Amino acid sequence: MTELAAECDVLVIGAGAAGLSAAYEAAADGNRVVVIDANARPGGQYHRRGVKDPPYFPAGTTDAQRWANIATYMGWQAYAADLDGDLVVVRLRGDERHRNDLHAVSTRVLVVATGAVDRQLAIPGWQRPGVMAGGGAQSLIKGSGVLPGRRTLVTGTGPFLLAVTAAIVQAGGEVAAVIEANQPRRLIRHAAQLMPTGLMKSGEALKFAAILARHRIPYLTGHRVTEIHGAEDDAAVASAVVHRVDEQWRPIEGSARTFEVDCVTLGFGFTAQLDLLMQLDCEAVQSADGGLAVCVDDNQMTSVPRVLAAGETTGVGGVDLAAVEGRIAGIQACHLLRTDGQRTQPDSKVMTGLYRRRGHLRRFAKALALSFPTPTAWVAEQTGDTMVCRCEEVSLTTVLEARDDLGATDARAIKLLTRAGMGWCQGRMCSYTVEGLCPGPTSVASQKAAANRPIGVPIPLGAVAKQGRA
Amino acid sequence: MSDPLCTVVIDGRPVQVSPGMSVAAAMMSTGLRAWRTTRHGQAPRGLFCGIGACFDCLVMLNGEPNVRACLVTVEPGDAITTQGGATND
Amino acid sequence: MPSGQNYDAIVIGAGVVGACCAHYLAEAGLCVGVVDRGSVAAGTTGAGEGNILVSDKEPGAELDLALLSQRLWTELIDVIGSACELEAKGGIAVGYDPSTFEHLQQFAAKQRDSGVIATEVTGGDLLALEPHLNPEVAGAIYYPQDMQTQPMLAAAHLIARGVRVGRITLHTNTDVVGIRQGDGGAVTGVETARETLWAPIVVNAAGTWGGQIAAMAGVEVPILPRRGFILVTEPLPTTVHRKVYSAQYVANVASDEASLQTAAVVEGTESGTILIGASRERVGFDRTRDWSIVSTLAAQALQLFPVLEKVALMRTYGGFRPYCPDHMPVIGPDARVPGLLHACGHEGAGVGLAAATGHVIAQSVMGQTTSIDLQPFAAERFGALHV
Ligand SMILES: Cc1cc2nc3c(=O)[nH]c(=O)nc-3n(C[C@H](O)[C@H](O)[C@H](O)COP(=O)(O)OP(=O)(O)OC[C@H]3O[C@@H](n4cnc5c(N)ncnc54)[C@H](O)[C@@H]3O)c2cc1C
Ligand SMILES: Cc1cc2nc3c(=O)[nH]c(=O)nc-3n(C[C@H](O)[C@H](O)[C@H](O)COP(=O)(O)OP(=O)(O)OC[C@H]3O[C@@H](n4cnc5c(N)ncnc54)[C@H](O)[C@@H]3O)c2cc1C
Repeated sequence: MTELAAECDVLVIGAGAAGLSAAYEAAADGNRVVVIDANARPGGQYHRRGVKDPPYFPAGTTDAQRWANIATYMGWQAYAADLDGDLVVVRLRGDERHRNDLHAVSTRVLVVATGAVDRQLAIPGWQRPGVMAGGGAQSLIKGSGVLPGRRTLVTGTGPFLLAVTAAIVQAGGEVAAVIEANQPRRLIRHAAQLMPTGLMKSGEALKFAAILARHRIPYLTGHRVTEIHGAEDDAAVASAVVHRVDEQWRPIEGSARTFEVDCVTLGFGFTAQLDLLMQLDCEAVQSADGGLAVCVDDNQMTSVPRVLAAGETTGVGGVDLAAVEGRIAGIQACHLLRTDGQRTQPDSKVMTGLYRRRGHLRRFAKALALSFPTPTAWVAEQTGDTMVCRCEEVSLTTVLEARDDLGATDARAIKLLTRAGMGWCQGRMCSYTVEGLCPGPTSVASQKAAANRPIGVPIPLGAVAKQGRA
Repeated sequence: MSDPLCTVVIDGRPVQVSPGMSVAAAMMSTGLRAWRTTRHGQAPRGLFCGIGACFDCLVMLNGEPNVRACLVTVEPGDAITTQGGATND
Repeated sequence: MPSGQNYDAIVIGAGVVGACCAHYLAEAGLCVGVVDRGSVAAGTTGAGEGNILVSDKEPGAELDLALLSQRLWTELIDVIGSACELEAKGGIAVGYDPSTFEHLQQFAAKQRDSGVIATEVTGGDLLALEPHLNPEVAGAIYYPQDMQTQPMLAAAHLIARGVRVGRITLHTNTDVVGIRQGDGGAVTGVETARETLWAPIVVNAAGTWGGQIAAMAGVEVPILPRRGFILVTEPLPTTVHRKVYSAQYVANVASDEASLQTAAVVEGTESGTILIGASRERVGFDRTRDWSIVSTLAAQALQLFPVLEKVALMRTYGGFRPYCPDHMPVIGPDARVPGLLHACGHEGAGVGLAAATGHVIAQSVMGQTTSIDLQPFAAERFGALHV
């Protein structure tokens, strides 16, 4: 592997749909473009097996030479980003086999395309072995060809449940049922917004419907998994209880049914990975799905100069939207770097087309988010020993005590008083649950505080100490 | 997955897995579902988020503790050891 | 009758100092309102460590206060102990070379005259106390009186206890925007963004923001922020048994330098993580981080505990210590404003000094002789005028 650059014109963090598209456009003027990704292979969460050809660009429109000029470094995780005068400095740690390798890259323009992680909510038994994030199961299958279990219950909300189901059955696994907490009639409310793009995607929907039919997989809407059981206390999954639920996802008494399964997947949408953007203090908003998203202007620029964002970081919207946003960000990166009028100007027809496509895809994403909302009030009504924080093993009772008896009014105080969110994952798994347990509506300030992780990945102290001497 | 298999050692037992798999996938392909216990409850944990965010799948790899099994690709001869929650020596 | 609630006393600030003030005022039989613009422990209490130290203080008024506080914290174990990780674990001040060790010995000798228990330990005895300590250090002083608590839990539980027995009312998310004053400037209550809360006694326990509260009553109390960072490691089995720090730490605590100072303070916590402090610098309320601080702290910690080399750094956090120009807190009634008392400006020792602060504030409010002479802590010592 070639030596990692210390400087570049455009640094792209994330080699998913957004990051790769951005990198390709950003390299247009002969800019030195560097792409970093924590994974072993480029492609992001969608293309788990890696990407061979330039993706996301119509055939014949890409130029192999330009791709060759983009330096891609896999197996590096960016853990910190700071402004340094006119530059942005991003700090990287080597992969799990090279945790002592630290490196810093200074860049003139930064594009953050770090994607998202499955959003989770605490449910009794969700810490048992055999329970997996829906996306996690998907990436296990796509990336390694291994099934998450023999017989799986796919649960949560949103069309992504169908993608998980398809992946499992196509890999030869069995899906006991798909448990969708929302009611499809919600889709009708947002039909107008869903229409144009929805038609484009209807092929996909038909494919999923065919898979469900062929494998006789029940698709239960308005149902939610309420308990996950094992043979004994901490044992792996043996069964799961599903209830019919109301609009707020509260279980309806007497509607329980049990599925014998050895795997349950959970997926309640996605949470954007904003570590670097929050460290840089970029402005953020709550998007339609209730999650935090970084604010960007028409050209994907954040509130911090020279810092752009694309893909799920700007609001969860799927792979196609990510690719379009990435292209716009890459074009804008070139524009920011351009000092003489000589270099290539973006073709205004191309730009208009990209803006329009992005607009359609965003409206579609928003309508989907509104059709598949994730309410949280029910979380507090579960049994007290439900584990809220998996890392520090903090129970629901402990969190409610902090809220009701100890004066904790926000997620930060709950964390300080209970340790929920202080463990290995730094709140990545429990923050949506904890926000939902706080009194009152979730504020952006509170979400920003939860998403601000000063160090994105653990680093050995010895390596940190040496860094000072360098 | 037509590539020849490679051998890794899981808790002292040699097993054949496909190259290109993650360490987590390799363990799951042998039927393991959990390979670490938690610090307080000594509860078993395995693969959860699958993409390096949850740190549930920590494992000892070639003597190094707390490696995220979902993020590393197996290499021939890897010694993979299940671990307790707060191991560090 | 004007709207709003009536209290015997109002404490502004639900940090560890405000919580202790409220606790002792409630114990004295008063009905207390605690007001904070955030949650409990929203300020520096939620951003620091929880050492209760006598070891780092020179003989004088602050050490006397610290010794009293250390005794009171021991009593508080009975009140809230198990809930707030209060632990008498002892502190160890380490001298790397013979000359710093000698310096430490002289410092300890002076402290002993004020009632501090300080034992010289070297070689095998030192390693018996702290098995993973760098064996090459020249020697150390062991301070068995040093304790540790989890300050956010301590603050929250002290207030919660008062709430349970009906003596304390907690107003969170309530910003104090003014101090109500009546005849002769005597306080009559506080103005919040929502309502007026009435009381003849107002305790300013607003920490680093105590100067702003004082200004609302027309007086100046010069409190400035002194920034500090802490590193937090992954959770480990017990590796560091006590609070261990290098001799340089004591010098830094007392220093007047505005520029960055670091000296390793390493301690284990009940949750298994190790906390590595502490930097000190005066940069206003600037939160911009500086990676050189992080790597310097890491290097200094490894010098004390080489065993931590491979241990992962998980996060950093930091806050702004409330600091006065002479490094002494402001405690007691403000002679310029009847009914106003200050309990702020404790810099890097607010947790340690909180119990004694609350105790003497309550004594003062109840018209009793205070256990400690408050003259050295008086707000008027800065010679400030009415503003
Ligand atoms: C586990 C998972 C599985 C999914 N599977 C599917 C699917 O099968 N079908 C589908 O339509 N959608 C799937 N999605 C939704 C997915 O988010 C989008 O479809 C799409 O991948 C978004 O593209 P992106 O470029 O914004 O982000 P991603 O594709 O997520 O790419 C982001 C990249 O950034 C890297 N990265 C993140 N943080 C850092 C860092 N700090 N340092 C270095 N690199 C970093 C990641 O390794 C990743 O490769 C999945 C999401 C998740 C979380
Ligand atoms: C890195 C670091 C390490 C430290 N380590 C130690 C240690 O080991 N031992 C030790 O003893 N000390 C330590 N300290 C110092 C200690 O944290 C402080 O001295 C102590 O927390 C101060 O407590 P307080 O209650 O006075 O202030 P705070 O905790 O700041 O409480 C003041 C409260 O007032 C509220 N407030 C302010 N203005 C208003 C207003 N207008 N209206 C309503 N409410 C308001 C704030 O929201 C805040 O909650 C450390 C500090 C730092 C930064």
